[in-house]
Amino acid sequence: MIELKNIEKYYANKGVKSYILRHVTTSIKQGEFVSIMGPSGAGKSTLLNILGMLEEPTYGEYHFMGEDVTAMKERQRIELYRNHIGFVFQAYHLIDEMTVAENIEAPLLYKKIPGAERKSRIADVLDRFNMVAKKDLFPNQLSGGQQQLVGIARALVAQPSIILADEPTGNLQSAQAEQIMDLFKKLNQEENITILQVTHSEKNAQYGNRILTIEDGVIKEDVSVNG
Amino acid sequence: MFKLNLKIALRNLWKNRTITAINVGGLAVALSAFILVMMYATYETSFDKENPNYDNIYVVGITYPEFKTYYTAAPFAKAIKQNFPEVESAGLVKEGSFELTIKNGKNTLFTNKILAADYNAAKILNINPNGGLIKPAGDVERLTYLSNESMKTLFPNKKDNKPEMVGFGASNSGITGIIAGSIKNNLHSNFTFDGVSIANELGKNDNYDMNDYTICVQVKPETQVVNLEQKITNLYQAELLKSKAGKRIDEVKGISTFLDPLSNLHLKPKAGNDAPYKTLIALSVLGVLILVIASINFTNLSIAQATKRAKEVGVKKVLGAYRFQLTTQFLVEIFMQCFAATILALILAELVLPNFNNLFQTHLSIWHINNGLYWQLPLILGVITLIAGIYPAMILSGFKPAVVLKGNFSTSKQSYWLRNGLLVFQFSVAVVFIIGLFIINSQLKYMSKEDLGFTANQVVYIKNISIFNDPIKFEPVREKILKIPGIKSATVATFIPGGINGINNYTANGIKANIDFVDVDFDYFETLEIKLKEGRLFSNEFKTDTINSAVINESAVAKYGIKNPIGQTIRGCNIDYKIIGVIKDFKTQGFETAIQPTIYTIKDPCGGYKTQIMLKIEESKMTEALANLKSQWSTINKLDGEDFRYQFLDELYGKLFKKQEQLQSIFFAAAILTIFIAILGLFAFAKYITNGRMKEIAVRKILGASDIQILKLLNTSFFAIVVIANLISWPLAYILTKKWLETFAYRIEMPILPFALSALITICLTVITVSIQAQKAVKSNPVDALKYE
Repeated sequence: MIELKNIEKYYANKGVKSYILRHVTTSIKQGEFVSIMGPSGAGKSTLLNILGMLEEPTYGEYHFMGEDVTAMKERQRIELYRNHIGFVFQAYHLIDEMTVAENIEAPLLYKKIPGAERKSRIADVLDRFNMVAKKDLFPNQLSGGQQQLVGIARALVAQPSIILADEPTGNLQSAQAEQIMDLFKKLNQEENITILQVTHSEKNAQYGNRILTIEDGVIKEDVSVNG
Repeated sequence: MFKLNLKIALRNLWKNRTITAINVGGLAVALSAFILVMMYATYETSFDKENPNYDNIYVVGITYPEFKTYYTAAPFAKAIKQNFPEVESAGLVKEGSFELTIKNGKNTLFTNKILAADYNAAKILNINPNGGLIKPAGDVERLTYLSNESMKTLFPNKKDNKPEMVGFGASNSGITGIIAGSIKNNLHSNFTFDGVSIANELGKNDNYDMNDYTICVQVKPETQVVNLEQKITNLYQAELLKSKAGKRIDEVKGISTFLDPLSNLHLKPKAGNDAPYKTLIALSVLGVLILVIASINFTNLSIAQATKRAKEVGVKKVLGAYRFQLTTQFLVEIFMQCFAATILALILAELVLPNFNNLFQTHLSIWHINNGLYWQLPLILGVITLIAGIYPAMILSGFKPAVVLKGNFSTSKQSYWLRNGLLVFQFSVAVVFIIGLFIINSQLKYMSKEDLGFTANQVVYIKNISIFNDPIKFEPVREKILKIPGIKSATVATFIPGGINGINNYTANGIKANIDFVDVDFDYFETLEIKLKEGRLFSNEFKTDTINSAVINESAVAKYGIKNPIGQTIRGCNIDYKIIGVIKDFKTQGFETAIQPTIYTIKDPCGGYKTQIMLKIEESKMTEALANLKSQWSTINKLDGEDFRYQFLDELYGKLFKKQEQLQSIFFAAAILTIFIAILGLFAFAKYITNGRMKEIAVRKILGASDIQILKLLNTSFFAIVVIANLISWPLAYILTKKWLETFAYRIEMPILPFALSALITICLTVITVSIQAQKAVKSNPVDALKYE
């Protein structure tokens, strides 16, 4: 599904290149649950951003579902967001002015899904996440864990093939974190959604089936886990 | 999606209601000012536009070496029509200048302006009496129509449009006439009137030396006007030579004609002054400036909100929104605010309109289909939405998700320069207006305080139609008037101060010159309290005073360069006048024109009619004196009839200041508006900057900075902006106000205080505004600002 070949990312400052990623070559298959780990500043988030096409690599090749991402136009990339990629953020990033239901509806609007189907999909997701009663609340009326659930619901409702999550439990207490990780695992196993998460926690990494460890911009370890 | 965006927009606007209110309110105020200016401009530029031949009508004017005029000789109209096939029609009009009394039983009407027009002119100028324009029969018949309002005064109960019999002059005069009907007096025309008198032909027996009429012509479409102008000039010169006017050929060569389009007549007549046009241009510039400043504010305020919206942009992009979708969303949001502002502006304009109409003596109304607002407003709404919205919309929709979603985000510094520049621009304009306001105020104050050289207070000017050129005729009238308690003195003259004097040629000290003349009666100088410099004033005791005595003013002495003027001779109108006194100059023409050299005589065969009676009345007895005058007027002044009409001279003279007072009001409004809007902008900008520097402030506080130091830190950059704005506008304001002051013959020295004051005011307001914002930052706990690190 994802092919990275010799990805490099650096910032040139007064002729001195400071590398963030070096020679990153790896591939991720459909249905994998990959955790990216490493110390702070190792380049985890940058790698995730490149995978999510939010940043461009300075050098290297990136194929997403067989297509060359670096050669893509803005429009094509947006089409990928609409149809294949769901994002989950550490700070949830729900839109404060929208209710829970509206937040979940937003991606469907951009996908131009007709009203009736939108309604049924939202109802479906709310039901699955046990949030029907909260659908008219605004994000600031919810706890962090609930907000993250909405965040995931929003990512899921567009039926993506991959979810990119940047420390999805970083702001949560451990009980809520476990709930979220269980949800990810379930989605991965039951619906075959590819999941890529950046995490600091050894424990969270165990939920997946593969761990990439990055240090100073270089992949140090790539191990399979039997979760 | 639209519905959802709309919902977000409303929720967002509500959440930031202070800023929204500032945004919308500021724009509404500016927009209402702009609407008023636009309505005024439309009104002023559309005089006579209802005329179907608007573009093809011209007034024929004559250019003499010294001046231009619209007064020409009647036969020339015919000559033009006969000689040039491209002239469709040519007609004559003449404005009656004297007051006429018309009576129907007990109802009396005083008309000032009866417009005489021939049938052709009536057709060209679209003068249509109610019931249609009728061609008068034969040479003698005059069809007289009164304006609807005048008709109402005379015949309050009249419903039909039938002719009526009326009396002219005093009820015992026995002169009667027929009023053919009524006509609408169109105030939105160059030709206004209390009544119209239509003849088949006017000035039939006039010669080329009787320049009494104004010729208007209607040319065929596609006529080359420049060409026609030249041909008419040639014709005029030829006619002058042929006629008995007795002009020499070299004199005639210096005379030419011009065609002034109907559209020029109101604002910038070629023979007349174009001050109204300049005022209109200045007003329009002002209106546009205020709107631009408000739009800039809007832009600034919207960008200041950007940080709050950044996350939304990032998330939406990641969810699959195209950039243009976001741009549209923000534009729609801004459009909604602009729309609200427009509605508010209309309400504001409606509220201000009565004052505005009063100030400019117009009858504007928003709810009038002809004012063009119905297409101008949507256009302006669109334009300001684009001006105010496009930049913030582009900036906001251009945010990179990877950057904004990281959490700690502040907008880039690149737009700093632009926004600082905008702020400087706003303040510069405000400073110019503040300085302008101060200087206009000082000049007006000077004008009201400065000694005019005469006293208009408690002087009553009586409108009168009987002629008192011979002092012996006025003597009995004066005697009777002075019997009324409270009246101190009475006099009669050809002109009153505040009006225009006559000009004649006088020779003294070997110099021949055109100077002003006023023919007066005894007690003229006493009534107006004009001060004597040397010699004496006119007095009954000197027999020669009614034959050949003259009083001149200081300017006249200077003009002729006379030393020891008393007893010297000044010659004019074939009379050798002896100068008996010199009076101090007094400002009859207000402050704009210099005092003209003037001669005052009692006997002047070449002068005008002495009809303007002036009385000095004790203030405490004013009411009774006026009542007595009114009741006794028919016995005091038999020839004038029973109608006593008066005005206070100071009110008449005060009209000379009307224009300046208008200007003062405009500048007052503009200064307040621009300052208000600039401060709004500053307020939001300061809020934005302070929010952006929260972290810096927190760190500085932890490092031990005191509150004062932080306030100083935040104020510094704004202080610099205001100082720069002042430096930019000082020279500009200096040049503009100097130009304005130069339109006065009597004016104040350019003061320095307004410049210092404008700086002081703007700096104070800035420091206060910024400090209010900064206060919050200073008071906040550093921990809050640093928490997310």
